[in-house]
Amino acid sequence: MNTERTPRTDKELWRSLAPDRDVVPQPISDLDFAAWLEGRLPEAAAARIEAAVAADPERRHAALDLADVLGKPLPAAPARLAVRAQALVGFEVAHQVAREGFLDRLFFSGTRHALSRAAMAAMAIVIAGAGFVVGGGLGESFAQQRSGADVTQASSPETAGELTDFSDGI
Amino acid sequence: MTELNQTDLRTLTAGNKRAWDGFVTAAAPLINAVVRRTLQAFRLGEEDVLDAAQDVFVRLCAQDFRLLKTYDPARAGLSTWLAVVARSCAVDHSRRRRRTTQPLDEVPEAALGVEDKHVEKLRIPPGLLTARQSLILKCLYDEERDVVEIAQLLKIDAQTVRSTHHKALLRLRAHFGEEPP
Repeated sequence: MNTERTPRTDKELWRSLAPDRDVVPQPISDLDFAAWLEGRLPEAAAARIEAAVAADPERRHAALDLADVLGKPLPAAPARLAVRAQALVGFEVAHQVAREGFLDRLFFSGTRHALSRAAMAAMAIVIAGAGFVVGGGLGESFAQQRSGADVTQASSPETAGELTDFSDGI
Repeated sequence: MTELNQTDLRTLTAGNKRAWDGFVTAAAPLINAVVRRTLQAFRLGEEDVLDAAQDVFVRLCAQDFRLLKTYDPARAGLSTWLAVVARSCAVDHSRRRRRTTQPLDEVPEAALGVEDKHVEKLRIPPGLLTARQSLILKCLYDEERDVVEIAQLLKIDAQTVRSTHHKALLRLRAHFGEEPP
């Protein structure tokens, strides 16, 4: 019987070894990972990332996929994708405009119609003022109110007197 | 991608609509490709690709472009950094969308395989292999990628990958007393 062991292939040898499960993958920032993918990192920093990538199957998949995508010509994206993404910032701007008040729009939203707006505002003030004056002004209105109140107050004892006279007659 | 790497980040992160539209036009093919590639493994449809790509752009412009402002052009190219961000967003999207159950027929056989825990595997002592040697062996044998793909990943030529692999195997065989085949 032949007791000699057949030498294992490289793959068989590797598969017979335990993966380094006790190696905890170190966190890597997106920027460091990108710099490593571009081969920009110095040797020591690159070795740290390589150890982390070797220890984490998900990072290995990410690295291999990204290297592949970045190394190929890119197909055009669907038009809907860009349209939806472009609306993100326009949408924000629209919200900001909606949040602005009436006075902001009247006085600060551009100088194109500033003159006509100023004329409209002046006319509104003149009309309101004229209406006030024609109506007798604040002093007359107040005096009318006061006299009305006096008349009411003065009428009360007379009414009481009339009632007394009436009861006396009975 | 040259156009993308020439983006005026200051104008973009100031919220300029025209700069944003230009950035989206330049970045859309890359983000689309990365998201599509990432979601391929999860068998998600076209709508998911569009939603995940939108998630990437939302993440970039959210909170007054906070994420975009963390990008440093001195450390990495914008296209590479965006690709990393896009992949991370796509993985998050797929985790949210992942079905709670999966038909047995759809599970790859390798995932159903049960490892024999009674076979005691030999442990590789720390420091025996360099990080690069370990990464190359894992990519070759665990991921079953070819030498050209690994060379592309590590920005080295294929011959360097082969020689690094050869040296790593020599070390392992010497340590475990294995003869070469």
